[in-house]
Amino acid sequence: MTPEELTSKIKATFAEKVEELPAVTGIPAFKVKPEHLEEVCTTLVSDPELNFDNLPCLGGIDYPETNEIGVVYCLFSFAKRHHLNLRVIMPRDNPEVISVSKFWVAADWFERETAELFGIKFKDHPDPRPLLLIEEWDEGYPMRRDWEGKDFIRMPETGQEK
Amino acid sequence: MMVDSPDRPEPLTGDRNLETEEFVVNMGPQHPSTHGVCRLILTMDGEVIKKVVPDIGFLHRSIEKIAENRTYHQFMIYTDRIDYVSSMNANHAWCVAVEKLAGIEVPERAEYLRVIMAELNRIASHLVFLASFAIDLGAVTPFLYAFRERERIVDLFEMTCGQRLTYNYMRIGGVSKDVPKDFVSETKKFCSYLYPRVDEYEAILTENPIFLGRTKGIGLLDLPTAINYSVSGPPLRGSGLKWDIRKDEPYSAYEKFDFDIPTGENGDTWDRYKVRIEEMRQSARIVEQALEGLPEGGIKAKVPARFRPPQGEAFARIEAPRGEMAYFIVSDGSTKPYRVKIRTASFCNLQALPVMARGWKIADIVAIFGSLDIILPEVDR
Repeated sequence: MTPEELTSKIKATFAEKVEELPAVTGIPAFKVKPEHLEEVCTTLVSDPELNFDNLPCLGGIDYPETNEIGVVYCLFSFAKRHHLNLRVIMPRDNPEVISVSKFWVAADWFERETAELFGIKFKDHPDPRPLLLIEEWDEGYPMRRDWEGKDFIRMPETGQEK
Repeated sequence: MMVDSPDRPEPLTGDRNLETEEFVVNMGPQHPSTHGVCRLILTMDGEVIKKVVPDIGFLHRSIEKIAENRTYHQFMIYTDRIDYVSSMNANHAWCVAVEKLAGIEVPERAEYLRVIMAELNRIASHLVFLASFAIDLGAVTPFLYAFRERERIVDLFEMTCGQRLTYNYMRIGGVSKDVPKDFVSETKKFCSYLYPRVDEYEAILTENPIFLGRTKGIGLLDLPTAINYSVSGPPLRGSGLKWDIRKDEPYSAYEKFDFDIPTGENGDTWDRYKVRIEEMRQSARIVEQALEGLPEGGIKAKVPARFRPPQGEAFARIEAPRGEMAYFIVSDGSTKPYRVKIRTASFCNLQALPVMARGWKIADIVAIFGSLDIILPEVDR
C-alpha cells in the first residue's frame, strides 16, 4: 500500500483509537493510547491487508518538559512492503505498557533494553531481566534526558545551539 | 564371537530406563569463537544443546546517549565504532538518515564514491567472515587467503582517507576527500584480481566434504521465524527471501547498478555462507560499474559547521554487510540530535541464535554462531 492508502486504512480501521502524527520521512505515524496497543497490534498483524509481519526497530523516547515518556515502534510488512510508525506516550512517573513480543519476537530484546535504559515497564514480558547494563546497576535510567551520572559530562553549551 | 565373561558388564539395552541429567556450560565471554565478548549459557543434555541464553552487554558504551551529547558532524566517528569491520557502511547509514532528515541533496560523484567504498567494505567484511568462519571449523588456510585480499582493500582505503579500520570517510552531504589519482585503476585491478580468488575459496570450501558435513543442514532457520525475529541480511536471504534494501528500497545511487540478490534454499549454515560468497562477487560487480560511470563534479554538498536540521524525525535504513542498519533520529532543531535510536543487524540476528542452535551439538553452535557473522560492538552499542 502507498503511505496515503495506509493512512486512510488505519484511520478507517481504528477510528478514535489512533491519533495521526506528522509523517516520519514519508512513513505514516500514529499515536496509540497504551490501553489500546494490544488491540491495535492484533489487528495490524492479523488483517490481511495490513499484515505487519516485521518489527525492524523499537525504542524509547523521553520528554521531560511535558513529563511524558514514550515507546516508538517501527513496523514493516515484507508481504505488503509498507512501513508504519506507531508510538505510545505515557506519563513519566510510572510508565507501563504491554509487551508486543507475542506479536513480534524481535521485541523481546528491544523491550528489555528500553526497560532498563528508560525505566518503562513492559507488562507480560516473557523475560524481564536487564540486558545491557551490569547486574548491580543502581544509577537510574541512563537514557532519560535529565539523567546525571558521575562519569557523564555534558558538552558545554555555546549558546548557538538553536 | 564374543565370549561371555563374568567380568564383562551387561550390555545396555533400550528398555533400561536411563536418566540423563541436564547441566549448564558457560561459553565465553572470552572464547575464540564468539568473535568478541559474548557469553552463551548453554543448557546441555549430554552433547545436545537444550537451551541457549546469550548474555550480552559487555561492550555497552551507550552510543545512543553519546549521540545526544554531540553535534551531528561529531557523531560520525562514533558510527565507525558501532561496526568497526564495516565502518564505511556504518558511516553511510548515519549520512543517509541525517540527509533524509534535513533534505540534503548529495552530489552524484559523492554518491558513487560512497557506493564504491561501501561495497569494497562489504567485500572486506565478508572476507573477515570467511576467515573467521573457516577457522572456527578448523580450516586455517582460508584465513590467510582472506586476509591477504582484505589487505589490498584496506590499502585502497588508506590511500583514500588515511585510515585502515575506522575510516570516518563520509560526511553529511558527501565524502571528506576525493579519491587519489591511482585509486580508480588500482580498484579495477583489485576487482579483476578478486573474482578468481573467490573461485579459489569456493574450491577449498564449498564442496569440501568436511565443510559440508559441518554446515549442510545445520542450524536451520525457516523464513517465518526469521521475519518474526527481525533477522536481516545474509541470514534472511539464506532462508530464501529475495530481499535486499539496496534493491528494494534503493538509497544512494544503488538503483543505477545492475546486480543480483543471492538467496539460499534451506536456511542452514551452508546457505548463509554461500550467500556471502556470492555477495562478494556481486559487490565487485557494483564497484566495477560505479568506477566505470564515476561522474565528475563536487564531492560534498554545502553543510554548515553549525548544522541544525529542521525539527522532525527520520527513519532510514541501509543494507550493511551484516544486515539492516537503521537510524531513527529525532531532531529538536538544535545542533545536537534529541534522540538517536540505532538498530543494528547483529542485535536482532543474535536473538535468533537460540532457535537455530536448539537440538544441535556443542560443536555445531560454533558453526551456527559463525554463520551469523555477529560483531559484538554492534550488538551492545
